[in-house]
Amino acid sequence: MAAVTTAAAMATTGIVATTATVAAAATSGPTLVVYSAQGYDSAETTAFEKATGIKVTLDDDSTGPLLIKVEAEKNNPKWGLLWVDGATAFASLDQQGLLMKGWEPTVTWNTLGKQAVPTDMSYIPTGLTMAGTLVYEPKEVPNPPTTWQQLLNPKWANEIGMNDPAVSGPTYPFVAGMMNYLGGVAQGEKFYKTLNGNGLQINLTNGNTLEALEAGIIKLALIQSSAGIGAGLKTHGLVKVKFLDPVTSLPSAIGIDSKAPKAEQLEAEKFVEFVMSAQGQKIMQSGDPTGDSLYWPVLQGVSPLSALPPLSSIHAQTINPYTWGAREDAVNTWFTDNIVE
Amino acid sequence: MTPTLPAALTGQGLTGQGQGTSPGGAGPFDHGGTGNGGGLTLNDGAPPRRATAIRSKLADAARHYAGQWLVWAVLAFLVAVPVGAFLVQVFVPRLFDQGTSWFTLSNLTQAFQGHTFLGLFNSLWVSTVVCVIDLVIGGGVAWLSMRTTIGGRRVWPGMMWGLLLVPTWLMAQGWQYLTEPNGVLSQVGMYSPLVHHIIFSPIGVVLVDSLATAPYAYLTLSAALGGLGSQFEEAVRVHGGGRVATFRVIVPVLAPAVLASVALVFVETMSDYGVASTLAIQSRFTMATYGIYQAINNLPAQFPVAGAISILLLASAAIPLALQSRVTRGRSYAILSGRTRPATRYRLGRAGKWSLTSVVGLFFLVALGAPGLGAFAGSFVANLGSPLGGQSLTLANYREVFSGDIAYTHSIAEGASGTSGPVLLSTMLAAITATITVVVGLAVARLLVARRPGRFTKAGDLLILGSIALPGIVLGAGYIFAFNLPIASRLGIDLYETLPLLVMGYLATSIPTTSRIMMGPVAQVHGSLMEAGRVHGARALSALRSCYVPVVSRVLVLVWLVTLTKTFWELPISQLLYPPGQETVSVAIDSWNNNYHPEVGAAMTVVALGACFLVIGLVLGGFRLVAPKGWRRMGGWRSVA
Repeated sequence: MAAVTTAAAMATTGIVATTATVAAAATSGPTLVVYSAQGYDSAETTAFEKATGIKVTLDDDSTGPLLIKVEAEKNNPKWGLLWVDGATAFASLDQQGLLMKGWEPTVTWNTLGKQAVPTDMSYIPTGLTMAGTLVYEPKEVPNPPTTWQQLLNPKWANEIGMNDPAVSGPTYPFVAGMMNYLGGVAQGEKFYKTLNGNGLQINLTNGNTLEALEAGIIKLALIQSSAGIGAGLKTHGLVKVKFLDPVTSLPSAIGIDSKAPKAEQLEAEKFVEFVMSAQGQKIMQSGDPTGDSLYWPVLQGVSPLSALPPLSSIHAQTINPYTWGAREDAVNTWFTDNIVE
Repeated sequence: MTPTLPAALTGQGLTGQGQGTSPGGAGPFDHGGTGNGGGLTLNDGAPPRRATAIRSKLADAARHYAGQWLVWAVLAFLVAVPVGAFLVQVFVPRLFDQGTSWFTLSNLTQAFQGHTFLGLFNSLWVSTVVCVIDLVIGGGVAWLSMRTTIGGRRVWPGMMWGLLLVPTWLMAQGWQYLTEPNGVLSQVGMYSPLVHHIIFSPIGVVLVDSLATAPYAYLTLSAALGGLGSQFEEAVRVHGGGRVATFRVIVPVLAPAVLASVALVFVETMSDYGVASTLAIQSRFTMATYGIYQAINNLPAQFPVAGAISILLLASAAIPLALQSRVTRGRSYAILSGRTRPATRYRLGRAGKWSLTSVVGLFFLVALGAPGLGAFAGSFVANLGSPLGGQSLTLANYREVFSGDIAYTHSIAEGASGTSGPVLLSTMLAAITATITVVVGLAVARLLVARRPGRFTKAGDLLILGSIALPGIVLGAGYIFAFNLPIASRLGIDLYETLPLLVMGYLATSIPTTSRIMMGPVAQVHGSLMEAGRVHGARALSALRSCYVPVVSRVLVLVWLVTLTKTFWELPISQLLYPPGQETVSVAIDSWNNNYHPEVGAAMTVVALGACFLVIGLVLGGFRLVAPKGWRRMGGWRSVA
């Protein structure tokens, strides 16, 4: 007995000691830490390193885990720059005092870009996708719904799927957008309750809802535009996207850590400037051609990829991220209690 | 371990107080084994001075308990500190900047309301049903393959291990592909809306959870059956007993393994997220772990609410623990000693043999076939990763996995910061974790099964079982709270987002499960084995190496492989703790899926499964070549290694 425990104790003590040593050695590293969920982030950081000589450590992960880390690290943040989708997420971080304010790159925004820049300049929009676009297979659905109200028609009973806003980052803006469009939280709740009564299916994320569409479990998927248009490209038109009136714009954005050392904040600003340069925009559009590259630019003089319909053909609404970001917890809790279960 | 010694070895004159009662399972022949104040008093017989006696006792106690204390202390450091940090913010959210209150009970009361309470209730009843089903599956396969002449008996244990390799989300996905309207059954004209609705319902959740955790029941029960020689059956027969009498003798002997199986399956099911986030949520069936994920994913993150649900999960682990403690405490179940005889197999009739072989074969065909379909079919299609829709087959996804043309971040060759690729990194980390886990887990298992438990054993056991019941995301977030303190950073100790902390996180999940798996086999090894070695002059470590290790060697090898596999696929802790730029394989696959490239994720899953099988094959082959034949015959889980 004693022999086994002693051996185990020696082994674990050794590990802890090694851990401490290696950890101490591991602390000296590059200065700019980028937390990003964008499909093109790797290409972007590599090009940035090459262009500026500034070393970047990239934490490329899904939006959910990255935001969990940012929240859990609150009292000792390790990130320098965060690049994910959703202005409401950034508004929430801003309201918690986690974002550096008062700086924007010197660029010429287009109309959508101007609308997406927050007044306190706490985050920088880098592109736009749309939340809650209607994705379907024309073979199965030759005449898709043309208005939001048509989704409530018994014709579509048990045929509509969407993501859980409490888990899927791009879905809360869609829920909030519908509430905004319909005139308030109560009206929005009524809409989702009726939709739920019509057999709404709930999945985890965009990927799961797309799978359900392809599997024939649902016929209409309400997901982020880049996921839907990307699926259309990959299936050579088997899947199509429709933008109901109105869709809610979903900016991708960059925020800089308010508690990061000044040197790292300056490097983060340089990174933003690189992303917004002609070279940076080109990389954003080529780094993930069937995924996140399918965005509408927020800068004048930069055209979207040809797979995207012109913005003039879409009626997109912008919601106030600060108003709706503050309601996220309450709305998601309501959604879980009344729709998910 | 058990202190009971055969009379022939003990010699009443030597032990002074007869059969040992030394704490922590130390035998009277352990060096310094003076737990009962007796022990080695073969000195000159003169009364020692008082001071010398006290000093001697203190030294003996220190020597005896130091190892135990250190093991528990390390376990506390790895598990209790991060879990405690996560749970303390339920009441003191301001401590980690997770709220403004210095003390509140509101988070706990919130966990007892609405969907969170319903989720907990659902998890409890699902876990209970799964325990019963797994006892039948695991016990049935173990008994048939080890104690009967069923066909393919050398194949079934390997199949059970194969099942252990499959992550629950992959299993759920496989069942989805099989039964959905455009699924595989539909392609061959066998689609049934009824089957679809059953799979996408709580019944489907129970089914998939049962299949996913059946290997745990098999491992604990087969270990007990492997160590159970034929001597008990023969003894019953000698005394004129029939099958019923044999059953009545055998079942109590297997009680620790049955209870270990129940406890492990219960908490593993409670902590599962793979099924809770797929089949369950699509069936509108909320489970406790999903509530934790929802709370943590909210903005601002509701860590205190997630912590409150975790407290309830932790408390649920007390149910099987109390049951186990009530049944086994104070009794010895040691059956594996120097006199253990090989078991005899029950000869099945021709009809019985074929029908049972078919049943077991069909079970594995379904259990492994469905997730296999999920992994393989999706990897060869050109679009969304679903095997359906008439798309062309392609190898492009595999090329992407190896070359990283789309985004090299997650390719096999390179991580985001130009580091070694995810498969290699995960294999290395899993091997390190498995090696430490085996050593520490063995020590913890021995402490847990001691007839006279040490001071911290009960608390340690609750901590161990409770931590298994917690989903990985709780440990991951707890590690950030506990090991990313500003004061530590000021002192230059930045463990967070380093590989060592990631390994510590892995250890925190693997040591508890491993200890519980090993309790069955360890409980069966008679203390007399070590003591016999000591009597013949071997020092403690030498006796351990020559008398104990051979008996448990196969168990250690198999546990090493279980840990390797589980660590290799671990996602939630990896996602929160991996150093930026050094993605593990699970993080890479998840990123592919979330960046709308599930087909590449599926291809990487297949490649990673291949790597996993390769390591397992090499280790098992190496053990077969290197270990003496006798080592492979002892100690449970026979016919696998």
